Formats: sequence, C-alpha cells, structure tokens
Amino acid sequence: MIIELFLLAIITLLAGTIVPLLAVSVNRRYIRTISLCCPIFASLFLGALSLVVLFSGETSGFTLYQPITEFSFSFVIDRLASFFLLIIAIVSACVALYFSEYVEHMDGSSRRNILCGFTSLFILAMVLVVSSANSFCFFLFWELMAASSFFLVTFEYTHDETKKAGLFYFFMTQLSSLFVLLGIIMLYLESGSFAIAPIHGASTLPITAAFLVLFIGFSIKAGIIPFHKWLPYAHPESPSPISALMSGVMLKIAIYGLIRFLLDVFTPDLWWGALILAAGITSAVLGVIYALKEHDIKGMLAYSSIENIGIIFTGIGLWVIFSASNLPLLATISLLGALFHSLNHALFKSLLFLTSGSVVHATHTRDIEHMGGLAHRMPYTSALFFIGAVSISALPPLNGFASEFLIFTAFFTSVAFVSPLFKVLLFICLALFALASTLSAACFVKAFGSIFLALPRSPQSEVAKEVPRAMLIGPGILAAACILLGVCAFQIFGIVGFNVPLPDMFLISLLLLGMGVLVYVVLYVTASREVRVSETWGCGSRSQQASSEYTGHGFSEPIDIIFSAIYRTRTKNERVFFDLKNCIFREGTGEIHLLKVFEEYLYNPISQLFMQVATKVSRFQNGCLDTYLLYVFVTVIALIIFLGWFA
Amino acid sequence: MIDTSTIEGIIRILFVGIIITAAYIISTRNLLSVVSVYAVQSLTLVFIALALYSLEGSLVLLAIAIITFFSKVLIIPYFITTIQERIRIKRDIEFHFLNPTTSLLISMVLMLVIYMVLSRIMQGTPARESLFFFGAVLGISLMLMGMMVTFSRKRVITKALGFLSMENGVLLFGLFVTELPFIIEFLIIIDLIILVLLTTILSVGIDSTLEDYHQRLHRFHLWEEPGEDS
Repeated sequence: MIIELFLLAIITLLAGTIVPLLAVSVNRRYIRTISLCCPIFASLFLGALSLVVLFSGETSGFTLYQPITEFSFSFVIDRLASFFLLIIAIVSACVALYFSEYVEHMDGSSRRNILCGFTSLFILAMVLVVSSANSFCFFLFWELMAASSFFLVTFEYTHDETKKAGLFYFFMTQLSSLFVLLGIIMLYLESGSFAIAPIHGASTLPITAAFLVLFIGFSIKAGIIPFHKWLPYAHPESPSPISALMSGVMLKIAIYGLIRFLLDVFTPDLWWGALILAAGITSAVLGVIYALKEHDIKGMLAYSSIENIGIIFTGIGLWVIFSASNLPLLATISLLGALFHSLNHALFKSLLFLTSGSVVHATHTRDIEHMGGLAHRMPYTSALFFIGAVSISALPPLNGFASEFLIFTAFFTSVAFVSPLFKVLLFICLALFALASTLSAACFVKAFGSIFLALPRSPQSEVAKEVPRAMLIGPGILAAACILLGVCAFQIFGIVGFNVPLPDMFLISLLLLGMGVLVYVVLYVTASREVRVSETWGCGSRSQQASSEYTGHGFSEPIDIIFSAIYRTRTKNERVFFDLKNCIFREGTGEIHLLKVFEEYLYNPISQLFMQVATKVSRFQNGCLDTYLLYVFVTVIALIIFLGWFA
Repeated sequence: MIDTSTIEGIIRILFVGIIITAAYIISTRNLLSVVSVYAVQSLTLVFIALALYSLEGSLVLLAIAIITFFSKVLIIPYFITTIQERIRIKRDIEFHFLNPTTSLLISMVLMLVIYMVLSRIMQGTPARESLFFFGAVLGISLMLMGMMVTFSRKRVITKALGFLSMENGVLLFGLFVTELPFIIEFLIIIDLIILVLLTTILSVGIDSTLEDYHQRLHRFHLWEEPGEDS
C-alpha cells in the first residue's frame, strides 16, 4: 500500500507539473487551480503513507528503472524518510492552498502557469530526493530540486534585484551540488557502490574528506554561516509561497541529507560533532543578530531561518558528540530535538512567510517601518502571524518551545558525563544557544510590534485590507499544527514510541486556559459597567502621530550598540566650520553604513580573485585565428614530446 | 633498371630539396616567389612518389604522383598566381608571434625533437635506420613548419600556402609510413582546391555582392584589371 500511495503521489505531482506547462499560453484561473490542486492531493497521499510508516516502523522500497547494473532509480521509505515526507506534505498542502489565491493577484498573465508547474516540479524533486535509495539517484533529484527552485526564485526576472538574487542563488546552489557530487564520488571510490550503506572501518582520511565535502555541500544548501548569503537575497525576491516552501522545506532536505549520510554511511568521530555544533551555534547566534537588524520583513525571516537551521545543526552536533561518547540516551534526545525542530521550523516559518506575503500584498512594501496598525485592518492575518511569532520565539506552550527544550535538556544533562574539555565547549555553546533563543524572541517582538501594532506609518498601511479567505486557510492549518504540536508534544512522542523528558504541555495548557477563563469570568462579574470617556495618556504629547512612534530601528538600537563589533557599522561625519579653529559650525553630513562583513571580507575577495583569474584566462580566447593556430601547434608539439617520453 | 640504392640516394637528395623549400616558405617575404617554391616542393613530392613507385611498383603511388602533379604543381599554383597578379600586394612583411629568423631556428629545433621522439618510439625496430624513418621525420616536420606559417603570417594568401605546405607534410608522411587509401588522397586534393578557391574569395572579402567586391578593391587600389598599369 505504501508503494502504491507513493506512486500515486508522484503521478499527481507530475500531472501538476505537466498540465500548466502544456497550457502555458492559456491565461485561465482553472488551469492554475488544477495545477495547485495536484500538490494538495499528493500531500494527502504522502501524509497518509508517512503516518503509516512512522507508526508501524516498516520500511518499503522498490526499483523503478535500472539502466545499468551499478545504478538504478530505486526508492526506499523508512521512518526517517517518512518523517521528512510528512514535513513536505504538510507544508506543500498549506502553501498550495494559499498559492491558489495568491497567484491570481500576481503579475505575469499566463507566465503564472509556468510558476504553478514548476512549484509542483519542485515539490516532486524534494519528495524524490528524500525517498532516493542510492546516492546517485539522490544527487540527480537534488539537482532537479536546485534547477526548479532557481526558476521559481527568478519568476520576476525583469527586476534588477531579482536578477542579482537569481544569479547569487544559482551560483551557491550549484556550488552546493558540486560539493555533494564530490562527496558521493569519494564515497563511491571508497565503497565501490552508490548504495547509501555503512562504510565499515575507522574514519580514514578519504572517508573524513568525503564527510567534510558533504558537510560543506549540505551546509551551503541549508544556509549555514558563512555559506548563508543566498538566503537573504533569494527569499525577499521570490514570491512568498515559494519562500515558504524553500525556507520551510528545501532547507530541511539539506538537513535530511546530512542526517541520512551520518546515520547510514559514516561512523562519525567526536570532532565531527564538535564541528557541526560549532557551525550550528555560530549560525544560530549570528543569524538572529542579523535578523534583528533587518527591516525587510522577508529578509528578516530569511536570517531567522539561518538561526533556526543553526539550532537544528546544534542538535545534530550534540547527537554526534553523544553517539561518539557512547551516551545513547542523550544522543537520541538531541537527534529527536533536531528532527522535531526541523518539523516545527517548517511549520512556523512557512506560516510566517505566508502571513508576511499577505502583509506585503496588502501594504505593497516589505519595509516594516512603513507598516504598523495592521492588527485592526488584518485581524486574522495578525493573529496567525502572532501564533508563528510565539512559536518561533520558543514560548510555551507552542511547538518551538518543545523542540528547543529537548536540545536544552540534552545540553544540561550532558555536562555530568562528558570530558572536561567538552564540558567547557558545551557550556559555551549552551550560553550562546540561550542568547540566540532570547534574541529570537526580541526579534519577533520587534517584528510583530512594528508590523501590526500602533498607528499605520504609511498611506498603504492606512488602507490595508484583510486578505481573501482562501489565503487564510493554509496559514490557519499551519497555525493549528503549531499549537497542536506544542500542546501535545509529549503525547505525540509517546505514540511514536519515544519517552522524552518533556513536560506534559497539555496539562499546562489546560491550566493556562482555565486560568484565563477564570480571570475573564472574575473580571466580567466584578468589573464596573459604567462607561468612562477620556483621552488616553500620550506620554505628554498633544496628539498621537505615527512619526512619534517607537520604530523598529529604535527598538533594535540598544542591540545594535551591544553587538556593534559584529555589525561593524561605519560612521562617517563631515563638518565644515566658519572659523579656522573649528568653533562655529556651518554645515555637515553624517552617514551610518552597515558593513556586510561576510560579503566584504569573504565573498567579494573570492569573487575578485576569480575575476582576476578569469580575466587572465579570457586573454587566451582573444578571437584571433593565429592565436588558436598557435595553441594547436603547441598542443601538437606537447603531444609529440609526451609520446616520445612515455611511448 | 636503376638499382635500389641509387633510388634511395635520389630520394635522400629529394628530402634535402623538401627541407630547402620548406625553409624558404617559412623565411621569405616575397609573395610571388613563395608560390613558385610551393610548386617546386610539390614537384619534389611527385618525384619522391615516382621514385617510390619504381621501388615498390604500387600503382597507387603512380596515381598519387599524377594527381599531385596536376593539382599541386599546376592548378593550385595557377589560381594563386592569378590572384597575386591582380592584387597589388607583393610582399608579406607582417608577422605574428614569430619573425622568419626565429621561425627558422624553431624549425631546426623541431626537426631535432621529432627525430629524437621518433627514434625513441622506433627503438629496436628495423625501420629506424631506413628511408621510411627519415620520411616520417621529414613529413611531421614539414607539417609543423607549415603550421608555423599559418599562425605567424598575417596575409591570408600566405596562410593558405602554409596550410598547403602542411598538407604536403601529411602526404610525405603518408607516402613513407602509412598507406592512405587512394580515395582519401584524392579527396584531400579536392579539399585543397576548394580551399584555394575559398581563400581567393576570402582574401578579397565575401560580405557583399561580387560587384561590391570589385568596387571595393578598386577603391583601395587592391585590384587591377588585365592590361591596367600597375
């Protein structure tokens, strides 16, 4: 039954790809609706099969086509694969529901059919990557995923910013593919097959090199610092549902790849774990620090994704460290924490991207300083965004809290067992992890406050209206899932067979709810019914104006000052005086530039180096026939000498 | 009948002739004489083919000698000479990468390198001391010398002659080392004739009609009608 459901999902997604591409010139809504219904149905099939595999624990596999002996298009669905298929299914269904309405408000006439087709193709590629049984198959579908997502990112290809983002994304995604391919080839040379199967023996140099190469490949795709730069470029320029898919699901495919190879192929060393942990913590802290500074709503969510991927990597790093230190219980808690956070991040980040898409759609701006006051104008969207913000801030009883709590528990418990050196490392990481969690909450307080509260700060915000109902259903399901997974986390882990040290949030939630109801009843009964009309105190100002509000910049200013060493702001003041002794001020200018550290110190020097090399190489191709004849001449001479030497 | 050693001696003398003509093609600046030298080089090849025919008695060699004579000694030089008579440019003094003296020096080094390489490859085989070995060395050297002419001269017509000289190297190599099927030889000759025709057109421009061509050539004083003063 599992294989049949899987094939059914694949066929449905294929239909979703082909139908709009065949009718590419027909600018009709029903074409796009049919295309976007396909991922919804496919998600139902995938969700059903995932739940069956997760609860039963049985593994199913089959070979679709075997062109040569060494390689086949084979698929395996085990518990790990089904867990990630479940992530794909939930997010894809909700995104498709939202997208079916959102796409109708986009520009691009019949070109939108292509967007819908490629969305199905993108989802299909991700499904196939997760269920691939061998590494070559994995790579092929990985590449399909990269290519289809590139076309989705560059949908608005006429915009200069989109072109730049598309180019950046294409380069980084291909770099990731290159590293993954290199790792797969190294593993093939070591094991002699493309099977994702354990390599026996100690971690020799080639195996370690293969791990490092794969780690870099997956890190680029996941957006780990310093390979993260494509995220803040690609997400703001993509349509919001595509950002939701990419951030919610595609980044998790990289996580899946890393876990799959660590779990099934390698026998990791202790230092591998330390490396993953260090990369994760760095990304978590720097990601959220940069998110705090960002005022483009989607850019902020992109940086927040970097932070959350950092948290997931932290969990994976702890898992590897505890596995290598022979602490299986802690290792399981860490891995469960990482996996659960993957699911949770997929849910709340998709929710946040979709609701931010609604906000951008209503206000026509991505700058949160030009928003404000939307809670009254878009009450449902603001409520949904609020649930996402609470979840991502890891506040109880929502799901973000449950997964981060698991990782915190692993940290706290571990200090009694590991060696003193690792104890120091884990303490430092724990402190940084706590800092990241706190800053994340600050970041979303700022975001929610600036976007939804107070008075509108632009005419567009003033006239913003709630989005159509169809654009609320998808985020609504995601918000419900966030609440359900947070409140019932303990019970869900129990059902799938894991006894984890989580508090029973269901009871706590009931208590909280009871308290809330009680307070309301008491206030309702005891409150005075008398209506009192007076002016709200406005901090001494005569009238409340949007310009006098506490802005996002203002909110993050203290954090800017604390982390000024990381932000590396450049302040430039120029003053002109009337007198020679610089006493009487005439005029002056002041500028504050935010230094893009990784761009200026890492990406730009590397690109300049490549440009220099490319310029030198391009001189070889000067368009002159004589030069090419000279190359032929030199090559022939070299061949003759080579033959003479080695014949 | 002439005995074998005499024929081999003749062939060796003809080899010297090939080297001299190749060196002349590389080093000369005179466009008019280079065609004549090419014709002489081709004629030398005809004699070598005939000498080999008298040694081996293969009819293919005779056929090669005949078509080489008609194509490379008569037809191709005729075409090029006709063009040269019309074009006012008589000297080729523009070079790329290498000047004639350097080209000559490099040619000498090249011959030495190829001799060493081939003797290494053929070490221990009876062919090493034979005439065929020298034929192979000379064939490859001639080919490379022709190639040097193609990239070191700027005039298209000289480039074409370099290419023709390269083909002479291939023919020489084929005569001594491999047995190219006659049909291949024949097709190469046809290719060469077409090449010369194309060069004739390309060297005076092909981006417009024939009338435009002539007008342009007249405008730049590059073309003169028969009987017109040069």
